[in-house]
Amino acid sequence: MIKLENVTKVYKGDVVALKDASCNIDKGEFVFLVGPSGSGKSTMIRLLNKQEGPQAGRIYVAGKDIAELSAWKVPFLRRNIGCVFQDYKLLSNKTVYENVAFALEVIGRPKHVIKTQVPAILELVGLAKKQRNYPEELSGGEQQRVSIARAFVNRPLILLADEPTGNLDPNTSVGIMRLLDRINRTGTTVVMATHDRSIVDTMRRRVIELDRGTIIRDQARGVYE
Amino acid sequence: MALNVNYIARETGLNLKRNLTLTIASILTVVVSLSLVGISFLVRQGITNASGRFRGNIELIVFLEPKIEPAQRAAIGKSLEENPEVKKIFYVNQQQAFEDFKELFKDSPEMIGSVSPAILPASYRVVPENPDFQATRALSQTYGRKAGVREVVSADKTIKALQKITGKINAGVIIAGAVALAAALLLIFNTIRTAMFARRREIEVMKLVGATNWFIRVPFMLEGLIQGLVGGAISVAVLYLYNNYMTTQLVDSDEIQFFQNFLVESPDVLNTGIVLLVVGALVGAVGSGLAVSRFLDV
Repeated sequence: MIKLENVTKVYKGDVVALKDASCNIDKGEFVFLVGPSGSGKSTMIRLLNKQEGPQAGRIYVAGKDIAELSAWKVPFLRRNIGCVFQDYKLLSNKTVYENVAFALEVIGRPKHVIKTQVPAILELVGLAKKQRNYPEELSGGEQQRVSIARAFVNRPLILLADEPTGNLDPNTSVGIMRLLDRINRTGTTVVMATHDRSIVDTMRRRVIELDRGTIIRDQARGVYE
Repeated sequence: MALNVNYIARETGLNLKRNLTLTIASILTVVVSLSLVGISFLVRQGITNASGRFRGNIELIVFLEPKIEPAQRAAIGKSLEENPEVKKIFYVNQQQAFEDFKELFKDSPEMIGSVSPAILPASYRVVPENPDFQATRALSQTYGRKAGVREVVSADKTIKALQKITGKINAGVIIAGAVALAAALLLIFNTIRTAMFARRREIEVMKLVGATNWFIRVPFMLEGLIQGLVGGAISVAVLYLYNNYMTTQLVDSDEIQFFQNFLVESPDVLNTGIVLLVVGALVGAVGSGLAVSRFLDV
């Protein structure tokens, strides 16, 4: 599903974010990216949905080399990739329902599809009763659920999560992880960058550890360290 | 790429409303610049109309009595040809005069119906050897007194002077209009940029969930286009009002009859109006297009 071949990404000022990184992630896997700040976890996520391009190497997503992808095809790549962030990225002037519906609307899904899928996904993330609320009326955990609903409403092949529990307390985080696990069980490949040791140690999934841009460990059913 | 019409209309409307003050500023700048350009076109058209009869170095027209004897007419012609001050003459008979009249009043058939070739004067159009004003006036006085001549009309000093001065004023007005137009373009550019900045979070989310670039761009580009078009439309209205006002002013002033030559016909106003609309739309499209391509790269 995802394959990195000798990927190197250097930012301005010779900041090496990824150095000759290679790995292979199969369909339906759940992978944790771990490592200290600045080790290249976020860069890897940003490369996978083509927010950035690498200086060298090849990146395959769903069988396509996205390093060579022309700009106008990028939106269609992203329709297969859901994204969840530490800061949720919800639109404060839209309700929970509208935030999720927006994601379908802007990719041209017809109204009747939106009307059936949005309530269904909100039911799945446990927010059916808060459809009409605005993001600021929700707790952090609830906001992250909305963001996951938005990322998953289009049933993407891949879900990328960049520190999704970074702003949440441990109990709330467990809830979010249950949700991501459930999504993973539907066959969606999940790649999650995290600092959260207890989550990684509890879930016992594949762990890829980065240090200053280099993959130093790739372990099935791994732990944080 | 499915572009949802409802979505685009709603987003464009929202943008225009949210940015109301900037939108109004952009539209007003377009109006001012295009009105300047349009009015300057009309003034130029008026001057051309007023001096149309004197094209081709014809400085003097000797109108003959409609019932002039052919011999008398020939005598006047001969005298003109032999005059050392005269370079060339053209004879326009009554039928030709009628054709000219029909051309001049092609928009008012009732005028043409009230006239027949028999009542229109034949004339000699005179190209003098020396086109300066003194010489022309001397000629005009000489022939004005001859028997069989009804009237001598000269492209007098006023028209000459007007042509010169309005030429300069027009150039100034066009430059001012162009500068204002450039300002309008920058203003629209900025309005669109502000609109995009205000909605950067939405745009970010749209990009992340896979909205196509055109889907994101179109409402913003439409916003600029509408600003340009509305500005163009208002300046067309300004143009019509200006022309109507000038028309009443000119028609009412009996003493300065030749000013009536400055009247600009509606087809000319219409043409200028179409030009203004197109230029307005163009300014809007270019301004917003630039903003969108500079600040929306994915």
